[in-house]
Amino acid sequence: MRLNLVLELLDVPGQLLDALDPIGKLGANIVAVIHQRDVKTERGTIPVHISIEGDEETLKRVLKSIEEMNIQIIEVDGVVMKEKITTILIGNIVDQDLRETVNVLNSIEGVRVADLNLKMSDNPEESASRIVIEADYGIKKDLMENIKEYGNSKGFLVINEI
Amino acid sequence: MKLCIIGFGAVGMGVSRVVSMKREMLIEKYGLDISIVAVTDRSGAAINPNGLDIELLLEIKEKTGKIADYPEFGVSDISGVQVLDDVDYDCLVEVTPTNIEDGEPARTHMLKAMKDGKNVVTSNKGPLSLNFRELLEAANSTNAHFRYEASVGGAMPIINFSHETLAGNKITSVQGILNGTCNYILSRMANEGSPYLQTLNEAQELGIAETDPTQDVEGIDAACKIVILANSVLNRDVSLKDVKMEGITRITPESIALAKKEGLLIKLIGEASYDNLEVSPRLVREGSPFAVDGTLNVATLKTDLADDVTVAGKGAGSIETASAILSDIVSIWKARS
Repeated sequence: MRLNLVLELLDVPGQLLDALDPIGKLGANIVAVIHQRDVKTERGTIPVHISIEGDEETLKRVLKSIEEMNIQIIEVDGVVMKEKITTILIGNIVDQDLRETVNVLNSIEGVRVADLNLKMSDNPEESASRIVIEADYGIKKDLMENIKEYGNSKGFLVINEI
Repeated sequence: MKLCIIGFGAVGMGVSRVVSMKREMLIEKYGLDISIVAVTDRSGAAINPNGLDIELLLEIKEKTGKIADYPEFGVSDISGVQVLDDVDYDCLVEVTPTNIEDGEPARTHMLKAMKDGKNVVTSNKGPLSLNFRELLEAANSTNAHFRYEASVGGAMPIINFSHETLAGNKITSVQGILNGTCNYILSRMANEGSPYLQTLNEAQELGIAETDPTQDVEGIDAACKIVILANSVLNRDVSLKDVKMEGITRITPESIALAKKEGLLIKLIGEASYDNLEVSPRLVREGSPFAVDGTLNVATLKTDLADDVTVAGKGAGSIETASAILSDIVSIWKARS
């Protein structure tokens, strides 16, 4: 059987080879690799499309080994595994709050803060922060509610996506 | 069909204008001959069983502000309920100002008409968001028609649209921009980078925001509409106190600028579903159906058969609101004949 994957690689030399290495070693065939360095994600990483062939067990082992190498799998056979969630906080935000918020978010399974922006205002109450999160597919609604609760508990106005 | 119009502000006057404008067309197309037999405002009433002169009604109201000054048929110091008792009419048009404390006096007017077996058309959000079930039961008990399209989104078709055009679908949620004033302020802030208070003041100068903007900017008006949609479209039994509410007063130019860099806009969104009733600022994508500017209203209904359906239209305005009321009157007429 054949499996189409989209992996997310760092833009550094050797990354692609490292990612492809276990595929052959575990006995799967690489059918195609599409690697465009000029197409980048939010964090400057590169999405790489890979098609591999093999029996079911082999392909499962390949997926597991890729995950063990801490390489993000964005898509499997067209099914999105990760989605991007943007949220904005308004209020008197200080760097302590940001560190805490990022730590809280990153500690949730399947959640990673991908981008963080802070815009300070003359009136501290009016400062705003934008957080872009990458999360496993399917947890968006719960995650947004969590963020809202957490932000509200700190006195921030939380603006979530629709 | 004999109309009794209780409340003669912008909406009541708009209904009169529209009835006058469309007289020939309504007779020709539907065989519907509308006469306005009574109109009331704070000053009293004008009552003529043979029909009032609409041009004269509007002229008197604009000149003196008092409908009781209507020549020959003007009456001062008469309550709405008294008028409903005294006058022979077919349909009550209840368009007194919205009262979100107790829904009065509109609630009493509507219940009285329904108990007398009269049809009711209204744009009044007060009793609809506080006493919806009570009104529905009163109307059902006498088989009176009860229609309120104008109460949500002015001319934007949504309530009758859900019940009639989307009949057979299960509607699971409604999300929308339901307050034109907030959308105007947020659009201006996004386009000009101006702070909230300055933009609100400009909107007030233009007559888009009221002198006391609380109901709009705190999300109360949108929350009333969410309650009406939840009760009517989703068949829930909820009231204003069940809605989580956050307005636009804390939105800053900084937050709008940060959103814009991600291709997002901040809009005040109302949401009614089976597990959520909420009005709050939300992020919407530029280029999406919710990315509308100015005082427009937009709503997306999620359905099981038709998938997502989005409607848009003018959310306020005297003639626009009257358009929704007239369509309710015509529907009642068609159902009767």
